[in-house]
Amino acid sequence: MNVQQQSFARRGFLRGALAAAVLVPMAGSIASCAGGGGGGTTGPTGTVSDTNPFGMADKSTVDAVIFKGGYGIDYVDFAGKGFENAHSGSTAKISPSTDIAQELQPRFVGGNPPDLIDNSGAKAIGFSTILAQLEDLTSVVNAKNLEGKVIKDTLYGGVLAPGTFEGKLAALNYVLTVYAMWYSDALLKDNGWSVPKTWDEMYALGEQAKAKGKYLFVWGKEAATYYQEMAISSAIKEGGHDVRLGLENLKADCWSHPALQSVFTALNKIVKAGHFKPGGSGTQFTAAQAQWSNAQEAVFYPSGSWIENEMKDQTKSGFKMTGAPVPSVTTSSKLPYASLHSAAGEPFVVPSQGKNVPGGKELLRVMLSKDAATNFAKTKLAPTIVKDTVPSDGFGSTALVSQTKLLSDAGDNIYTWNFIDLYGTNKDQLVVWNTFLDGKSDVATLTSDLQKITDKVRNDSSVKKIEVK
Amino acid sequence: MTSVKAKTLRIDGGASAAVVPDTAPPVYKRRRKPLTFDKVSFFVVFLGLPLAIYLLFVIWPFIQAFGYSLTDWSGFSPDQNFIGLENYRKLFTDDIFMKAMGNNILLVICLPIITIILSLVLATLVTVGGSSKGQIKGLRNSSFYRVVSFFPYTIPAIAIGIMWGQIYDPSGGLLNGILTSLGMDQFKSYAWLGDKNTAMIATMFVIVWGFIGFYMVLFVAGIKGIPAELFEAARIDGAGRFRTAVSITIPLIRDNIQTAYIYMGILALDAFVYMAALNSGGGPDNSTLVMSQQLFFTAFTKGQFGLASAMGVVLAVATLIFSGLVFLVNRLTGGDKDVSL
Repeated sequence: MNVQQQSFARRGFLRGALAAAVLVPMAGSIASCAGGGGGGTTGPTGTVSDTNPFGMADKSTVDAVIFKGGYGIDYVDFAGKGFENAHSGSTAKISPSTDIAQELQPRFVGGNPPDLIDNSGAKAIGFSTILAQLEDLTSVVNAKNLEGKVIKDTLYGGVLAPGTFEGKLAALNYVLTVYAMWYSDALLKDNGWSVPKTWDEMYALGEQAKAKGKYLFVWGKEAATYYQEMAISSAIKEGGHDVRLGLENLKADCWSHPALQSVFTALNKIVKAGHFKPGGSGTQFTAAQAQWSNAQEAVFYPSGSWIENEMKDQTKSGFKMTGAPVPSVTTSSKLPYASLHSAAGEPFVVPSQGKNVPGGKELLRVMLSKDAATNFAKTKLAPTIVKDTVPSDGFGSTALVSQTKLLSDAGDNIYTWNFIDLYGTNKDQLVVWNTFLDGKSDVATLTSDLQKITDKVRNDSSVKKIEVK
Repeated sequence: MTSVKAKTLRIDGGASAAVVPDTAPPVYKRRRKPLTFDKVSFFVVFLGLPLAIYLLFVIWPFIQAFGYSLTDWSGFSPDQNFIGLENYRKLFTDDIFMKAMGNNILLVICLPIITIILSLVLATLVTVGGSSKGQIKGLRNSSFYRVVSFFPYTIPAIAIGIMWGQIYDPSGGLLNGILTSLGMDQFKSYAWLGDKNTAMIATMFVIVWGFIGFYMVLFVAGIKGIPAELFEAARIDGAGRFRTAVSITIPLIRDNIQTAYIYMGILALDAFVYMAALNSGGGPDNSTLVMSQQLFFTAFTKGQFGLASAMGVVLAVATLIFSGLVFLVNRLTGGDKDVSL
């Protein structure tokens, strides 16, 4: 019996301990919340002047977290040095991150976010979730840069649009990205081909390329939506801003717009004719891109201007990478052929709860100086939103020269859209596009599947919608 | 009290059960030994500390996740509103999440069975599958096979995923290269991971490939624990290799198989690394999407932590149900009263 009693006592003790341990925290768990951060703190302020337009305190520290992707972080380090020179005694602490959302989520919740963030990369924080916690950066673009010019006047047109949400300039996108159809100028010249301006010409070129054993396009499974970008861009050109606004505002039947339908139909014809290299839905996107830039199995590749830097090591010598506008459907499209999808990327944001909000803005001001912007263009072979930093030889890059040309040809006809990044739907759309480019679906299925994704966001009351005008 | 008694009575055995009266007899209290420093420090280090760590890092986050799953928390702001079970309703009406759950169920059924059968066959071959004359032993050079088949397990999962991603590559991949060189031209640029008919099978193959060696070694250890006399006796009675495996080996390493089944099943319910490496987007028509991937996208790209927490809770409950089912099946098929050595 002793044994029995003892065993009961021990079990009882353990059971009791466990139960207590489980129950005690449970009582508090529902009531407790992860939040904690109080109201925004702006930190001690210094005197406001032209050299210190945001009133940053003397000898303060700025904490910046920068996405470390294709552009690295050394360009911010460069600006950080300029910042420290301009404000002796202050320090700029610049940390890299490849996973902005996961790394900064606890800091946002804890009310302790960095003073400046480059919210970029595949794991960027969805804007609609943090919009309310960001500073309006209008004061930055209204300030004078280090050379004494008002920053607003030194920027390309339309570059503030992608960072403006419901009238608030929440993000300053630093790098200017041109979306285009990229090709090897050398390859086209060798074959006596010219860049097709309509989808019919594109199809005809496909037939010629086939004779030479080449495809028109390649794609990779993680980047199938580059063709969605191409299709939307071409449709906006054809049907005007109606197309864009329908998509941006998640309208019912927005994917059935006649302009989009005609582009889908043209693409489908090209897919069905076998001008896409088969197997893309199982190919890693960088491998697919190398099939275009190195093996030259395909003639064109739609992408952003980061493509040159991304494929630098895997581009055939003498390739002469050049960008062209995407084809339009007809020659009588609403917007001219030269219209362009271009958007400023690498969104820099200043959280309102940061410890040194004026410091975050000040570092951003230094980045927008001519000196820092030229440094970026020179080392990254990509233009920033600051004008006139790229010389006519494009630092020796044909792609950079063609970007400048595309931008000046387009003039005011530059457009962009945000709905995919805003609502994080790219992953769902990838699935649909992979199937379409594989030739396993048709225009009707593509349209209804894309519409389903849009409808799901629209009908989800927990997702904050942002109206675009 | 009664349940405790019933349990303890069984320990005593049937005979003594009859003589225990219903009213408890006077208890001989053992003198409580004083709590010495040794005793207390022992409790603290071996009981208190692990319990505290377990509560802090396992139980507490789980409870927190459940709390969040009842809110519409975005993950980046302190605001969260209590919305009851709305997230769960949303999950079970969401076609993509249900598809992911279906894929997990498919994995949890297929993966353990395939892996265990194959590794059992291999384990049997290298331990008792050798010559039917003389001493019981495995195939010739079996120690070599044992080492070789353990190799894949030593490669990190992510490396396995990336490597097989290359092998399956439609254009330059090894697999299509071999198939086309054998004259099967239909496999020229065939996308194994891009076709919804083959994506899941190809992915399962990779996982099985990665784990077969490990479970083989586990089973080899189990089989080595069985006295050779049993196999010899069976052989003298005229049992063939198959009969020996089914009637002797499998019943005697039943516990190992059950453990393997649960481990492999839990892996199948997660499977995040393999899926993310082979088809980061969820595969063609979401045919390889699993719940853990969908959880990740929902939390970090869509900023819906409340909903993602609900997915986490569903995943955890599914894991518990799975383990429970395995134990139940084992018990129903007589696992608890089975022979042991």
